[in-house]
Amino acid sequence: MGDVREIKNVRTKMKIKIGEKVYDIEISESGCGKVKIVVKGKEFLFGKEEKEISIPQVSLPKRNFLKKEILAPIDGVISEIFIKEADFVKKNQKVLTLSSMKMENELVSEFEGKIKEILVKKGQKIKKDEVLIKLI
Amino acid sequence: MPIVELEKIESTQDFAKKLENPKPWQVILAKEQTGGKGRKGDFWYSPRGGLYFSVILPKSNIDDLQTLTIISAFIIGKYIKEKFNLEPFIKLPNDVYLNGKKVAGVITENVIEAKEVKFSVMGIGINTNIARFPKDLENIATSFKIELGKKVDNEKILKQIIERIKEQLKVISE
Repeated sequence: MGDVREIKNVRTKMKIKIGEKVYDIEISESGCGKVKIVVKGKEFLFGKEEKEISIPQVSLPKRNFLKKEILAPIDGVISEIFIKEADFVKKNQKVLTLSSMKMENELVSEFEGKIKEILVKKGQKIKKDEVLIKLI
Repeated sequence: MPIVELEKIESTQDFAKKLENPKPWQVILAKEQTGGKGRKGDFWYSPRGGLYFSVILPKSNIDDLQTLTIISAFIIGKYIKEKFNLEPFIKLPNDVYLNGKKVAGVITENVIEAKEVKFSVMGIGINTNIARFPKDLENIATSFKIELGKKVDNEKILKQIIERIKEQLKVISE
């Protein structure tokens, strides 16, 4: 217990250098398990509470990189499907052809995996960004 | 221009798409195709005598590729008119007719991964030195040989048409 009381009373003044700038800071224990840092008269409190808040504030990328979905690059009509559900496909393997803009567009898989679901049929009209195939 | 010439193959388009390292303007030429491809999975009758080739296109945006596909039919039509004094009819987007019968066709295939065009291959089939067509095609297909009554130089036609397509793509993508 004596040790704890001693730490609470610690007040350390120090200089820190970040880049070329030197800052005079003062570190002390504020009570309630928080550390107080004073820089140029401004007080900053750090403790367990802030840590808990700061984690959800980190914004995660919106795209889920674990989601293996093949999307339509352009509007068109499905002219051929080369795979079936439960097939295992390699990266770069052709999965379907999309007739669009007077051309035949061969879609190759950007993933390796097992076909979980084929959401389109031959002859079906599809829109850009529509999910065509799901993989696992 | 680099040309790979093959005696007999299923499809120059399929061969081109399987190239490990496709270089722009590389040409795959076949004397005969057993499974020549038209648009939407159609078959292109490709016996000996005709001109069947695929050309790897440089990376271009998809709108330019569409324009190029349509213009290629015009390039072939214009070439036929200029060189052979025939009256071609262009059936949009990509077929050329003579006397109401199909004489040439263009197909462009793009290989797309993760919404990005990796490479594009244009296939052109021209019925040049085909003396006659089978019964089921004789009313819908014709050839230079039938229309002109003489043989034409396939190699010369190939080179001149590719040159014109090259020029055209330059103009489109400027």
